[in-house]
Amino acid sequence: MTGHDDIPKTLAGLPNSAPRYIGQPIERLEDPALLTGQTEFIDNVVLPRMLHCAILRSPHAHARIVSVDVSEAEKLPGVFAVITGEDAKRWSNPTMTVPPGWGTHCLATDKARFVGEPVAAVAAISRYVAEDALELITVEYETLPAVADARKALDADSPLLFEEHGHNVMLQKVFTWGEVDAAFANAAHVVQQTFRWNRLGANPLETFGVISQWDLIAGTLTCRGSFQAQGHYAMARAMVFNLPLNKVRFISQPHGGSFGGKGGARGTDITALLSRKAGGRPVKWIEDRMEYLAGGASQAWDRHYDAALALDADGKVTGFRVKLLDDLGATAEGWGAVSAAKPLSNFTGCYTIPAAQYDLTIVATNKLPGSPYRGMGPPPHNWVQEQLMDLAARKLGLDPTEIRRRNFIPPDAFPYTIASGNEYDSGDYRATLETVLEMADYPALRAEQARARAEGRYLGIGVVNTIEPGVFDWNAYAIVGQPGTGVPEGCTIGIDLFGKLTIRVGFSLEGQGQYTVAAQVLADWFKIDITDVRVVALDTLSAPPHFGPGGSRLGVALTGAVLGAAHRLTEKLIAVAAALFQTTPEHVELRDGMIGVKGMAEAQMPFQEVAQTMLARSDLLPPGVDPNPEATYVWTAAGRTPADEQGRAKSYLTAANACHVVLVEVDIETAQVQIKKYWIADDCGTRLNPANVEGQTQGGVAQGVGAALLEEAVYDEDAQLRTSTFMDYLLPTIYEVPMTEKRALCTPSPFTPLGAKGCGEGAMHTTPAAILCAINDALIPLGVQLFEIPASPQRIWTLLQRR
Amino acid sequence: MSVTRRIAMTVNGERHEADVEVRTTLVDFLRGDLGLTGTHVGCEHGVCGACTVLWNGRAVRSCIMLAVQADGAELKTVEGLADGATLHPIQQAFLEKHGLQCGFCTPGFMMSIYELLTRDSAPSEEDITDTLGGHICRCTGYQSIVEAVHLAVEKMRAT
Amino acid sequence: MKPPLFDYATPATLAAATALLVQYDGEAKLLSGGQSLVPLLNMRLARPAMVVDLARIPDLDYVRADGEGFAIGGMTRQRSVELSPEVRVRHPLLYAGMQLIAHPQNRNQGTVGGSLAHADPAAELPAMALALDATFQATGPDGVRTIAAADFFLTYLTTALEPAEILTAVRFPTLPARTGWSILEVARRHGDFGLAGVVAIVGLGADGRVASARLVLFGVGATPIRAAGAEALLVGHAAEPALFAAVATRAAADLEEPLTDVHASADYRRDLARVLTGRALTEATTRARSA
Repeated sequence: MTGHDDIPKTLAGLPNSAPRYIGQPIERLEDPALLTGQTEFIDNVVLPRMLHCAILRSPHAHARIVSVDVSEAEKLPGVFAVITGEDAKRWSNPTMTVPPGWGTHCLATDKARFVGEPVAAVAAISRYVAEDALELITVEYETLPAVADARKALDADSPLLFEEHGHNVMLQKVFTWGEVDAAFANAAHVVQQTFRWNRLGANPLETFGVISQWDLIAGTLTCRGSFQAQGHYAMARAMVFNLPLNKVRFISQPHGGSFGGKGGARGTDITALLSRKAGGRPVKWIEDRMEYLAGGASQAWDRHYDAALALDADGKVTGFRVKLLDDLGATAEGWGAVSAAKPLSNFTGCYTIPAAQYDLTIVATNKLPGSPYRGMGPPPHNWVQEQLMDLAARKLGLDPTEIRRRNFIPPDAFPYTIASGNEYDSGDYRATLETVLEMADYPALRAEQARARAEGRYLGIGVVNTIEPGVFDWNAYAIVGQPGTGVPEGCTIGIDLFGKLTIRVGFSLEGQGQYTVAAQVLADWFKIDITDVRVVALDTLSAPPHFGPGGSRLGVALTGAVLGAAHRLTEKLIAVAAALFQTTPEHVELRDGMIGVKGMAEAQMPFQEVAQTMLARSDLLPPGVDPNPEATYVWTAAGRTPADEQGRAKSYLTAANACHVVLVEVDIETAQVQIKKYWIADDCGTRLNPANVEGQTQGGVAQGVGAALLEEAVYDEDAQLRTSTFMDYLLPTIYEVPMTEKRALCTPSPFTPLGAKGCGEGAMHTTPAAILCAINDALIPLGVQLFEIPASPQRIWTLLQRR
Repeated sequence: MSVTRRIAMTVNGERHEADVEVRTTLVDFLRGDLGLTGTHVGCEHGVCGACTVLWNGRAVRSCIMLAVQADGAELKTVEGLADGATLHPIQQAFLEKHGLQCGFCTPGFMMSIYELLTRDSAPSEEDITDTLGGHICRCTGYQSIVEAVHLAVEKMRAT
Repeated sequence: MKPPLFDYATPATLAAATALLVQYDGEAKLLSGGQSLVPLLNMRLARPAMVVDLARIPDLDYVRADGEGFAIGGMTRQRSVELSPEVRVRHPLLYAGMQLIAHPQNRNQGTVGGSLAHADPAAELPAMALALDATFQATGPDGVRTIAAADFFLTYLTTALEPAEILTAVRFPTLPARTGWSILEVARRHGDFGLAGVVAIVGLGADGRVASARLVLFGVGATPIRAAGAEALLVGHAAEPALFAAVATRAAADLEEPLTDVHASADYRRDLARVLTGRALTEATTRARSA
């Protein structure tokens, strides 16, 4: 019976002498439907008697809700249900949170805690009418003082988000790994700096959407929506509504991007309650963009850092301290706290730093609850670390590339356990660095920079290396209270009567090309045409155990599931074929699409025929053989360990590595930054589909540029959101994103199917750091440095006035 | 009280007549009343470009147009690009160059590109960038989209 | 984000349109390209009782060269101006400015009249109109009148148009010989409203000294602002960097409180105005020398 170790770690392990799909930039199976507009995004779905939901949201950052009068709204023709916090209290529980105890109901009950928090909701015949109805709802608020600044939220006299806690600190703990105090005490050099990373977030082009249907008679809840992880959200909703899990059915529709947080817990709960109140009619809510920016999964990483490196006289880093004040917003409902935990998976970066410390405080303020966003925490952490490396280089009179060389984990040290407990599988960081420096002609760049400075122009060069952890496990987030270990991904593979194959999975399309990768792998296993493979998504009640995309896991996990299921299915086919060939299974093999007797070239038949025999002639099957030519395999990363009291665990399975070089010019009169050239060398092990990988990389660069220069969710001191539309929250267009030159290196993972490493989050881990380091490199002659992101023209201008 | 108007227009060569509430946006009319759900809604304030359709041959943001403004107009949406089972060269180019990931912004991009390439079979890099600059893609980082446009130019010149 | 209820009309004549504006007494809004109005409707920030769509009124969509300028109808799409070969050749400033307006997809729908009547302080068309001494044709219930650009932009989003008047045409004079131009802005992204912008028009005399100068700053006040004090420092003097720097400093200093918003402070805007003025003067002068 197939086990974890049966899954090939290299292409040579496939029963195919000439695989032609894996590793090729195969055109995606999902594209024709997307290109013709046929793909069924949630807003395409129309159900009989469906109603439309609009949500009334608090205009106040902090206010007691004195009364909510919906009587006029209920009378508006076309309105079928109106709900308030009273309904939420009556029919639902507060949502689970991580850390636990910082959550609320889907509608504000006693008070509103952030601008945009849902207070009431309407189901009507159209969204237009539903919005008309909102205007007829009267809410009496008693405004309360609001706290918008994380540091003020720590004050003894700060307004409190949850009075019952008596303070705003969701979590406070210091994690110490190795002899950190000694490292700093004995250091030849210490480089210390504070940093500020401002809120920003995912902003997929498609906002969240859901259709909920609560059948009170059958006692079932059915939700269709743009769920990134349908099983995870289904479980949470079952707990919110006290429903057995098998009475909850979640169907994930293909969705227009996610980047971490697409699950719409509040919207799902609100539409479920409306459906209940409307006699079981389906209720659809499509989050509009302003709702997303103010009230959705749109904000992450509101951080104040104070960090330091201890170095010896040769520039070797002996200690790394990070103090982080993480402003999670009004509740912990968004799962944003996991972003404060994930840095443990790559805390010391590419370097052999033996001692480190993480002083973590997560605090609540009257702002939108933070959500996960691509990278999940390391993007800010990597920026802090790489900027400190640059500062250290300057202090020691070393080139930034040289200080990195002196600290890299050497290629023969893998698997390598870092101070914070995670294990890196493989890598050659020096090779990545030298590759990108050669691509960029680094000495020529420095010469160009010198010439420009002589002319009074300010070019900057950033050379930044990061680890991009892949294949997450829950134990990575143990320190913020996320329980459990083990993230499964299962698939079922079946062969039909006409010899075609179907892969059944538990997630829907999100953009990463996962169906194509699954089909590539299966087509190569059985040596068939990729057009003979179909991938279908199943819902939470019919799919095999699954999680879906997230934490740069799905390429690896799905490949493992497909290979495992293929292996298991092959075992079944071999058992049947052995009987047909009148031999025993150990004499039969799958080779290049044929099932045959080993060493007897003429005793073979296409595997499809074996399957057809199973389907048509179960009377011919040997006893003990499952008659169905289908098999399921659930892949989970091996060797994950529960976190210890210092959070140490083998968590993220793979460590991809990237080195980015970027050339920028800072116009010191207008304070504008122009990215002139951008080179990337990255190593994510075996590339299952190089076009997918490059797409993820370039997409990560674009989001990284947004983070570095443009995107910021701005709150004023009354916690009012100032960036409520795309006029003020600025996403990068083609004009702002550099076309990058990319080169791939490959140190395969010894731990994963086919040696692939997780890579989806990719460049987002690296680009913000690369651009900010480049800007600071440009500003060196002016004697000023920027340690706040985004590096907006306003911030750079203000800085330059001090030169 | 809701005000309605009878409008008529041609969409992808097919004539449609309908009574619409005058406040209905064009994108909601196309998606809801006509069932043409290939055009997507991303922002509803004219910034992201996901809703782009052709209105009398010009690429416009249908989320900030009223349906009644299209009375008497000829519209083209993504559903009008393919010819039966054959993808339009622009669609084919996107497929070959991996010019999409989640695909949500893609119909809008292709309609703008369609306008550009039917007006100018050899557009300059500047014109290509200017056309693409009115759209936001959150997935691709634009590089493969530019490559798709270059390939589409070649394919359309060959036909 | 769906519009509230409103009534809608598509008058076939200007008379019918202005009659509606009179009838609705400030509660009606004109719909031309919709690039400003419809987002406001979607956000329910505009709640007119009546939306008057000008699309059916004939003879409002044209670009006509007339000797020393271009007459442009109020309903002319911005893209039509941009794609006009005559404009490109004979009015390069107008051509350049059109390309800074948002994106082609907005310009396909947005109208010249709509942008001018909306009068966003950071918009390019109002700034160019002021710099070029454009003249505006306003049609109301009592007839037609001409308004000079200097009198047109009153304050934030407010023009000299009466509530029942429609901007039916604008005339943009072309630049005389030996005159150079520049339009520069600093924006967060290509196509965004500028944090600050400058239109500079410099005419040189036979002696190479500045014979005429126009400086309009935009995005830094409630309306586009003519930097008259700075202009005066230019006329009669040799066109050189030291002069431009002084003029730029003066133009910035003369600004009353520039806007502060989430993208830029008043001080930063003022400094951008200074930098852009200097650069625009340099560019305009270079063009003047070869004009």
